[in-house]
Amino acid sequence: MLIKYEFLKILRKKSTLIVMAASLLVTAFLFGLPVLQFQTYNQDGVIKGLEGIAYEKEQAADYSVPLTNEYVTETIREVQQLFENPDNVGFDGYEQFLIDSAYWDGIAPREDLLNMIAKNYVNPNESAGYNKLPELDISEGTDFYAARQEKIERLLNDASRAMSEEQKAYWQDTNSKVDAPFTYGYYDGWEIIISSFELLMFALLAVCIVIAPVFSGEYQAGTDAVILSAKYGKTKLTTAKIIASYLFGGLSFTLHVVVALGLPLAAFGFDGWDLPLQIANTTIPYPFTFLQAALVNLGVVYLVLFAMIGLTLLLSAKMKSPYLVLIVLVPVLFIPLFLSPNGTTGIYNLTLFLLPYRSTIPEVGKYISYQFGGLVLDAFTVRAILYALLTAAMLPLARLGFKKHQVS
Amino acid sequence: MELQLQHLCKHYGTKRAVDDVSTTLTPGVYGLLGANGAGKTTLMRMICGVLKPTSGRICLNGKTIDELGENYYAHLGYMPQDFGFYPDFTAREFMLYMAAVKGLGKQEAKKRTEELLKLVNLHEVADKKIKSFSGGMKQRLGIAQAELNAPDILILDEPTAGLDPKERVRFRNLISDFAKEKIVILSTHIVSDVSYIADTILMMKDGTFLLQEPMATVTDSINGKVWELLVSDREAAEYSSRFSVVNLHHENGKVRLRMIHDTAPAAEAITVPPSLEDLFLYHFGEEAETERSE
Repeated sequence: MLIKYEFLKILRKKSTLIVMAASLLVTAFLFGLPVLQFQTYNQDGVIKGLEGIAYEKEQAADYSVPLTNEYVTETIREVQQLFENPDNVGFDGYEQFLIDSAYWDGIAPREDLLNMIAKNYVNPNESAGYNKLPELDISEGTDFYAARQEKIERLLNDASRAMSEEQKAYWQDTNSKVDAPFTYGYYDGWEIIISSFELLMFALLAVCIVIAPVFSGEYQAGTDAVILSAKYGKTKLTTAKIIASYLFGGLSFTLHVVVALGLPLAAFGFDGWDLPLQIANTTIPYPFTFLQAALVNLGVVYLVLFAMIGLTLLLSAKMKSPYLVLIVLVPVLFIPLFLSPNGTTGIYNLTLFLLPYRSTIPEVGKYISYQFGGLVLDAFTVRAILYALLTAAMLPLARLGFKKHQVS
Repeated sequence: MELQLQHLCKHYGTKRAVDDVSTTLTPGVYGLLGANGAGKTTLMRMICGVLKPTSGRICLNGKTIDELGENYYAHLGYMPQDFGFYPDFTAREFMLYMAAVKGLGKQEAKKRTEELLKLVNLHEVADKKIKSFSGGMKQRLGIAQAELNAPDILILDEPTAGLDPKERVRFRNLISDFAKEKIVILSTHIVSDVSYIADTILMMKDGTFLLQEPMATVTDSINGKVWELLVSDREAAEYSSRFSVVNLHHENGKVRLRMIHDTAPAAEAITVPPSLEDLFLYHFGEEAETERSE
């Protein structure tokens, strides 16, 4: 009963509806933008929006294949043959590229696939496109997966990463669970989702704004004296407020998630959910499909949300007005937005990757790990543990803050 | 039932809002009088367990608030001064919510809500949002919520503040109805409110009890010190500057003065029976005059 009324107290406020409507619109706009701005090209020119998406999907259908070494070798050979005809090749003073029908028929429909293959054979942090493929020696075939493994080794041994032996062993072990050969296919919708998780920060802020008055609103409105002097005011009511806050936070955030994930998936389709992450970047060490990666990161985002609700409730219990709560909370959520990592090691970077904003970004290809003695954990795990612990720590403090509140 | 206040103190820095207050309260209506800032609200908040004393303790039947926990609050009904409501709740929802916070079962909550809303004459607007209520309606809802759990201890802090005279009379009657077999502490600086319903007067000044007397004998201490005198306008001004004039009434071109003074202010002055207001003014003097003019 108390939970119901506390939930109603949150829901009935006009400000709740305004904040939620505004944040849903912002979320819909941000996650709908890739659909609105989508454009692709064919020989006739640019194709925009849903029409462009449909065209790309149609083109990609022919390349939903297992990337066996034979297939990769044959694909590289096809590109090399195209480059062998001088009539097909253009030069911009810096590099060669294919032109006319050689490009539109031989490259354009599978350019992402070719770029991914080309990138697999260059050094870490080096970019490469299909025009690097002619440089590869495939006279005796190619072992795509051995090349991938070599690239990962180089990456792990890169001096700038300063990885310990334990960290290298951890990543090698994680990577060993990646199945080969990869199956290639269309995955644009999932790529947008995985690269846009941080945009859910606005939804997270909106939840915190709505939750901010849960305790401090009682102090501000002067209802604290009545409820704290009632039988369950310092006990069950506090629990009900916390549960109602989490209920509201969980439901309203899920509504945002549905919009955020629903728009790209509605436009680009569910295709690619069961494809491995490695087809976007071969050095990704996690043995996840796109759907699994999205769910794992979404799990972390929910834990960040729960911890931020916990922090909001703690501040709300301690401060006299919801505005003061937001004065503290907004910088915590948004200052990290302006801080950029300059690597993947060192206290600054490792701390930055754990702050709320950065924690919403999956960073699946960055090999971010944390070592505690002999124990190595990846960013997903550390973020999950950290935010679960923060939630567990904040809630008793919030309870205590309200219980000990002195009416003044 | 006994509510004991033992050496209760509340200090804010060097200011002593409540300073070593001790008393034992048994069922009855206690009128807590004092000027603004006397410490009434601080004392009531401590009794209600929403403000921690700097020192001293509060016991109900020999057990402290901390020992009793929820069981203490189950005995309590509190109507704070100027307390807020949830504007988007209806009166009925607010009552049901408060009933849940007070630990009433669903059926009992409904029953008590209907009874009390009827008693405070809000049953016809029970489904209207509180933000549409007048000050008097909110005050009535305030006392109704305090009564939800049929408390043994009812604490009412300035319950009649801001009400018109008719509403105040209505409120006094309500409180009298609720007061049976309970400890009722009614704080006010409007003396007439308590003079009708209080059994005992507790008068506070500078954080301490100035006096604690049964209503019947509370004015005994100023017997023979309240005077009336009929004077001209010019003389009235002169007396006002020299004596504590508690009332001034124009009669056929003359002015009837009511004064408090240890001795007769003039040979023609006659003593009259003291009222509670006289006693209040006797102790609070200019503080009370200032409040009365407000």
